[in-house]
Amino acid sequence: MIKIEGLTIRLKTFEFSDFNLAIERGEFHFLLGPTGSGKTLILESIVGLHRPRKGKIWIDGKEVQGLPPEKREVSYVPQDLALFPHLNVWENIIYGIKARGLQLKDYESYIGDLISITKIETLLERYPARLSGGEKKRVALLRALASKPKLLILDEPLTGLDPSIKFEIQQLLKTLHSSFRPTILCVSHDVEEAYLLADRITVFIDGKVEQVGTKEEIFLKPSSNKVAQFLGLRNLYPVSTVAKDPDQRRWLLGVNGLLFSLPMPPDHREGEKLNLFIRPEEVMILREGKPVKESLKRNIFEGEIVDFMDRGRYHLVHFQSQEGNLLFEIHIPNYAFRNLDLWKGKKVRVALREESFWVIRH
Amino acid sequence: MGFRHTLIGAALVIFLFYFGLILSLFYFIGGKGFWDAWLNSNTLYSIRLSLVAATISTFLAILIALPSAYALSRFEFIGKNIIDTILEIPMLLSPIALGAAFLIFFNTPMGKLIQEKGIYFVFEIPGVILAQFATVAGLATRLMKASLDEISPRYEAVARSLGSSPWKTFYRITLPLSYKGLLASGILSWAKAVGEFGATVTLAGAMPGKTETMPIAIFTALASANIEKAVILILILLLIGIGTLYSVRFIGKGYRYD
Repeated sequence: MIKIEGLTIRLKTFEFSDFNLAIERGEFHFLLGPTGSGKTLILESIVGLHRPRKGKIWIDGKEVQGLPPEKREVSYVPQDLALFPHLNVWENIIYGIKARGLQLKDYESYIGDLISITKIETLLERYPARLSGGEKKRVALLRALASKPKLLILDEPLTGLDPSIKFEIQQLLKTLHSSFRPTILCVSHDVEEAYLLADRITVFIDGKVEQVGTKEEIFLKPSSNKVAQFLGLRNLYPVSTVAKDPDQRRWLLGVNGLLFSLPMPPDHREGEKLNLFIRPEEVMILREGKPVKESLKRNIFEGEIVDFMDRGRYHLVHFQSQEGNLLFEIHIPNYAFRNLDLWKGKKVRVALREESFWVIRH
Repeated sequence: MGFRHTLIGAALVIFLFYFGLILSLFYFIGGKGFWDAWLNSNTLYSIRLSLVAATISTFLAILIALPSAYALSRFEFIGKNIIDTILEIPMLLSPIALGAAFLIFFNTPMGKLIQEKGIYFVFEIPGVILAQFATVAGLATRLMKASLDEISPRYEAVARSLGSSPWKTFYRITLPLSYKGLLASGILSWAKAVGEFGATVTLAGAMPGKTETMPIAIFTALASANIEKAVILILILLLIGIGTLYSVRFIGKGYRYD
């Protein structure tokens, strides 16, 4: 297990304090945040390349913040990979084993498995200058894993790759993780990457941990406006409590005169300022004449289709409510889009499921 | 005349300027005095002294320049800027002033002690080596730092994370990646040492058969109107210069592995 407590970094132009992180053994953890938020400094502190002002780092129960990088058993794959250009692929791969004074024969079968998973059997004699971008990534991952480190650190592993290579490396990372269960800390600003690969995510914005959780928790229940904005979530509205619904467990939340009926926690107070996030995938466009379930009737709004576009895997529809002129982004599956026969300016009704709401309290 | 022709014309003027200068040397080749000067033991001694002293001084300079260059290239430390500036002093200061500074130093109590208990430098061969070392060490550090700057520290970071100690990382990663640049720096420094005049003549004097290096011998040959000897030595220095430039170009910069 990896644990970081109270990590404090102070540079001339940048500082943050009291950073904490915990990663379970075998976990694929993402440190997710915008570019320039200090993620790389955290990573370098864990590797041992940067000496933090304060804080403690444990790797498998051993305190390592005072140790040099070579004593930490943390492998590091930087964004530019830094494959050693004067060594061929095989020499690159076994560099860590030789450097640590380990017996190559003890690792041969494991490395053989890694080589066959990464499909680089034919590249072993080549020098990095003669590898493609995707091949270089595969070799760098293999080199980092070869000596079975206690932690593998990846710095923006999929940034700057062509879409096809990106997909290939994504799949490879998934396979490597499910096959060998290395503990991985991946630093990234790419939300989609984190969603596809992470077991758990730490969202780090402006030098502060904003949220830690599983990917479902992060993406469906962002804890703050900052997280929601960083994740690029649409349909985020500042709302205020207008009144209690006649049904006592529920409250009416209003924005621009449009009222949403939602169950709220018991400690909720009238007049409290909140942010309401409506998940675009959970909004239903109702078909005329089709009966509507009782549970949906509480949040049905009339309006018109402003715009739509084909996004490949789904259709993105912009809907403007008649009351309050609120603009919603709605994602609907392609088959549903075809059945609905939508056009710009068409009057429709939308229903918001209970699951489509997430309230972010200030 | 067009823009392109004007500029190429300027390059041609520079070429003809130097080429004419070199060509003029050949006017004195082949006369009776020319071959006498060749076989003169003092001439041969000057050549040998210059080459041996320059090799020793460059070797000593590299011993200190390489680690210093690495430190300046990779680490942040207090006084780094001051050290960086001081390295340029031998390049900017007149070599005679540098030699004079040594003479003055060896007249201080500490300098005297070094000479009495250690090695005699003033008007001796070690003085030649010291003067060349002083001129070359700063330059070698500068050139080697430039070579090391070209190698991304990320290679070293990754090697360290894979379990390499700093020494092993330097030996197995940094050195193989930068050796061409380092070698070229060494050759250029050596050529500079061979051509050193001012500091050497001030500190070690111009004693034929003792401290007279090639550049000093050129000066004394001209002073005694021995043009043939001066021409021979100039041509040898010229050959060394051309050889240096070609070897540096041949070595090339950086690394290439395919």
